[in-house]
Amino acid sequence: MTVTPVRASQRGGRALLARFDALFNRLYTWRFNPLYHSGALVVGCFAVLVATGLYLIFFYRIGAPYDSMERIAGQAYTGRWIRTLHRYASDLAVVAAVVHAFRMGIQNRTWGPRALAWISGLVLFGVFLVCGWTGYVMVWDAHGQLIASEGARLLDVFPIFSEPMARTFVGERDMPSAFFFLNLFAHIAIPVGILLILWIHVSRLARTNVWPPRPLLWGMIGTLTLLSVLWPATLGPEADPLRIPSEVAIDLFYGFWLPWSRSVSPGVAWITILAVGAALLAVPWLTRPSAASETVPSFVDPRFCTGCEQCYHDCPYEAISMVPRDDDRPYAVGLVDPSKCVSCGICAGSCAPMGVGPRGRTGRDQLPEVQAFITEHEPTRDDVVLVACARTAAGWGLDRFAEAPILTVTCAGSLHSSVVEYLVRAGAGGVMVVACPPRDCWNREGVTWLEARLYEGREAELKDRVDRTRLRVVYAAEREHARLTAAVETFRSQVRALDRVLAERGIRIDTTCELPAVSVAETDGP
Amino acid sequence: MSAGEKVLGIVATVVAALAIAAASQWSVRAGSDQALVRLSWRAEPIRVEECRTLTDEELAEIPAHMRRSEECTGLYVDYELRLVIDGREAYVDTIAPAGMRRDRPIYVIHDEPILAGDHEVTVRFSALLPEGYESDDGPAELEWSGPFPLAPYEVGLITLDADGASLERRVRAR
Repeated sequence: MTVTPVRASQRGGRALLARFDALFNRLYTWRFNPLYHSGALVVGCFAVLVATGLYLIFFYRIGAPYDSMERIAGQAYTGRWIRTLHRYASDLAVVAAVVHAFRMGIQNRTWGPRALAWISGLVLFGVFLVCGWTGYVMVWDAHGQLIASEGARLLDVFPIFSEPMARTFVGERDMPSAFFFLNLFAHIAIPVGILLILWIHVSRLARTNVWPPRPLLWGMIGTLTLLSVLWPATLGPEADPLRIPSEVAIDLFYGFWLPWSRSVSPGVAWITILAVGAALLAVPWLTRPSAASETVPSFVDPRFCTGCEQCYHDCPYEAISMVPRDDDRPYAVGLVDPSKCVSCGICAGSCAPMGVGPRGRTGRDQLPEVQAFITEHEPTRDDVVLVACARTAAGWGLDRFAEAPILTVTCAGSLHSSVVEYLVRAGAGGVMVVACPPRDCWNREGVTWLEARLYEGREAELKDRVDRTRLRVVYAAEREHARLTAAVETFRSQVRALDRVLAERGIRIDTTCELPAVSVAETDGP
Repeated sequence: MSAGEKVLGIVATVVAALAIAAASQWSVRAGSDQALVRLSWRAEPIRVEECRTLTDEELAEIPAHMRRSEECTGLYVDYELRLVIDGREAYVDTIAPAGMRRDRPIYVIHDEPILAGDHEVTVRFSALLPEGYESDDGPAELEWSGPFPLAPYEVGLITLDADGASLERRVRAR
């Protein structure tokens, strides 16, 4: 199989990210790993920007922008650090957005139903930058002047203005106050647009959680506030079109392009910008798997559907709806919208009668797989088996870990609880389910539903007859080998210390989970 | 999570915060001998017209209320901008009237980097008229010439005067 440059770069990026994930998990724990919450951190920063911006707007004067900024910077107890916090939060938002996009890109969460989120995310990022530029122009110091004049130089390539915009900034005449009014208007109006695009960005997600965990959110705000107090942002010299600023403090997060664009012609600059933009917009098409390896969407087999609505509730992408049946059964039947389904398989784990899931990965398909696994590995009472999410196991590249055999599932959330029961009753001393940390679940809620099914009685629940002491769920990122090895060893020693559990005796799995007479292969999927 | 990892986490946070603050105000200095000659103005270009008298037959084909004895076609001409600094030709360009149909004013915007100090500058802005064409629309050529001292970091602006009749050096716009 040939490896395209896109796949190779994804592989390289994933290896890099895995190392950072493991490191940050050690430093901040997986609950508060900022890399897992990069998208939510952007929203957190946006909230800080709105709050601090509301304060700053009271002191801003479009008739004397620089003077008003000087007054704000002169407020030692409020304005100075609030303005700085406004700036640092906008900087952190850019960093977090880039990390978030990088993460989604290298995890291949960009194509098919996720293309809308990718493209709207790029638009969101672009609009965020524009909003930042208008903010710097508001200050009207040397940095703001640089952004305005360079931006005007680039925009003047397009014959859309009645006269070149750059003429506004050459010093031939006074700056029109209408310019600052329009700029302020844009700086306030664009965030409204950002909210709208954010709504589109997450529109295909169920139970959207756009906020980081509170400790992380307040930790971020506290750190930025402390930084703002200790290292307040400087105010450059007032913009003067008839003077080259001897020194400009450029915000690299928003002005990263300035040194480069000033050294090339506007035509070259635009060709480069459009090429980069087109390449980023093409990511959903570039990263789409080949037809042979593309995963198939879920389907509902109406013969097994009891109308319980669990798959409808559990789907993290709102891809399943309940529709009237076309037979005489008195309840609705699930229907999967293939255009929204990312083939995560979480519905397979939700269905007690095993009537839903991607073809080949439903609960009914998992049972023969676990049977084959048991035949191959013959688990013993004094040892454990690992059931690992493919994202984690793929990083190991092993069929055994810490001497425990590994049964791989595409997502821990797609694991049917019957598989766990099957393993325990087949003789495994313990079953350890290795899942991605919850906020890094590539399918959003796989880990959440897995735990609820195994421990909290959520459909399709793990039956009470299964001894929970023989079950563990651990979260591990790809590179957390040492931590996971320790967890396996600990669990193994606990399992070996267990007495035989009498409650497990005498239960025959083939009478509890009897396969129906009709094979799934004969059903009509989408 | 060990105490050492907690400390490392705090250190990493501090380093990241300082990195953000540093990158947020990355200082870029301009050389202390830098200055700029800036040419910037808006001018109404000269229109070159060719007129001919219509024949009686041609007039007869036109509705009575639309008859004009003379039919003119024309266009706004390009201009040549020439900047000479200390006897050296620093910049030459041909500037067309703005607009898709070239019927808008001409806008001149050019920055020429130069070392600070005393210079002799000549700016010539001349209409590229067809040979022998006499224009009564306005001056076909504008020129400014003279000593041009520039302090470090100064932008010396040459623009049209308030009447739009001649070029001038403007020291400060406000």
